[in-house]
Amino acid sequence: MNEKLNQYLDGVFAPYDGVKSVAELKADLLADLQERFRELKAEGKDDETAFKMTIDSIGDIEETVQEVASASRSLERQVLINFSGSNLPDSDFAGVTVHKGKFEGSALHDSTFAGADLTGSKFTGSDVRDANFAGADLTGSSFKASDVREVNFDGANLTDCTLYASDFTGASFNKAILVRTQINASELSGAKFTDVKLVDVKLTATDLTKIVFEKCTFNGVDFKHCDMQGQCLDGMTFIGVHFDRVGLKEVTFKGATLKNVSFLPSFAWTNKYHRAIKAINFEGAMMDKLTYAALKGVDANLSKVTII
Amino acid sequence: MSDNKISADLLRGHTDTIILKLLIDGDKYGYEITKLIQTNSGGEYELKEATMYSSVRRLEAEGDIEWYWGDESQGGRRKYFRITKKGRSTYANNKSNWEYAKRILDNLL
Repeated sequence: MNEKLNQYLDGVFAPYDGVKSVAELKADLLADLQERFRELKAEGKDDETAFKMTIDSIGDIEETVQEVASASRSLERQVLINFSGSNLPDSDFAGVTVHKGKFEGSALHDSTFAGADLTGSKFTGSDVRDANFAGADLTGSSFKASDVREVNFDGANLTDCTLYASDFTGASFNKAILVRTQINASELSGAKFTDVKLVDVKLTATDLTKIVFEKCTFNGVDFKHCDMQGQCLDGMTFIGVHFDRVGLKEVTFKGATLKNVSFLPSFAWTNKYHRAIKAINFEGAMMDKLTYAALKGVDANLSKVTII
Repeated sequence: MSDNKISADLLRGHTDTIILKLLIDGDKYGYEITKLIQTNSGGEYELKEATMYSSVRRLEAEGDIEWYWGDESQGGRRKYFRITKKGRSTYANNKSNWEYAKRILDNLL
C-alpha cells in the first residue's frame, strides 16, 4: 500500500522532477500520508477506504507545489547572479570602449551602454532588461540565452551580431543597423523595427507574429522556419528576400515593392500553404517579372499588381 | 455544505496563526499538526496537507518557524517544526489583529 501512495504522489509531482524543494515537499507529504494510512488501518478501515481517505486528506496540492517550485526557482537565479560576481544593475557604461567584453551570467538590468563600443562582446545568460544600448557599436557581439526585454537598441550597430535564444520582448530597434545579423530561436513579441534597413539578415525559427516592422527595407534577408501570421508588410521594400517555409497566413504586402523574392513552401505545396499564398493581399504592390511569374504560378491574387 | 465551504475559507485565512499557536505549545511534525487541528476543532475542521505545507513553507521563508530532524528509533525520520522568537511575536500580532477585527465584526454583524 505504501507503494500505491508513492505511485500516486509520483504522478502528482512528475512535472517538477528535479526541483529540490519540491522533492523535499514530496518526502514530507509521503511520511504524513503513510502515518495517516497506518492509523486508519489500525482503526479497522479496509485498505480501499483507508487509501481513499488518505488521498482525500491531501487537498489541492498542485497550487502548493507551484508556490514551492517558483519560490526556489527565483532563489536559484539569484545564486547564479551572485556567483558570477558581476551584479551590476543600474550601472553606467555610456560611451565606454569594451572590445570582446564578457558579460556572462551578469545582472545588468537598467544599465546604460549608450554610445559604447562593445565590438565582439558576449552577453550570455545575462539580465540586461530595460538596458539602454542606443547608438552603441555591437559589431560582432552576441546575446545568447539572455533577458533582453524592453531594451533600447535605437541607432545601434548590430552588424554581424548573433541574437540567439534570447527574449527581446518589447525591445526597440529604431534606425538600428542590421547587416548580416543572425536572429535565431528568440522571442520578439512587441519588438519594434522602425526605419531599419535589414541587409543579409537571417531570421530563423523565430515567431514573428507579434513583431512590428515599420518603414523597413529587406535586402537579401532570409526568413527561415518563421511564423509571420498576420504581419502587415505594407509599403516596404523586399529585394532578394527568401521566405523559406514561413507561415504566411493573413500577411499583407499592400503597396510593397518585391524584387527577386522567393516563397519556398514547407516540404510540398500543401493546400494550407496554397490557401495562405492565395489570401495574401498584394494590392498596389510593385514587383519584377521573376517574382510575379513565381507568384502567379502558385495562384496568388495579383490582379492589382504593377510589374516593374 | 456551501455554508461549510464558506466557513472553511474563513478559517483557512488563519492557518498560519493556528499553526504558530500549536507550535507555541511544543514542537510538532507535519501529520501531528493536521491531526491536532482536527481534534482541537472537535472534528469540525480538517486542515488539508496541501494547505498545511503551503503555510509551513511560508512561515519558514518568513523566519517564523524552523525545522530539524527528530531522532525516531523506528520508522521514517520525522521533520519537526519549532517556532522562533520572531514567530512568537508574529503570533501575538496576528492574535491581537484578530481580537480587534472580531470586536468590530461582533458590533457590525
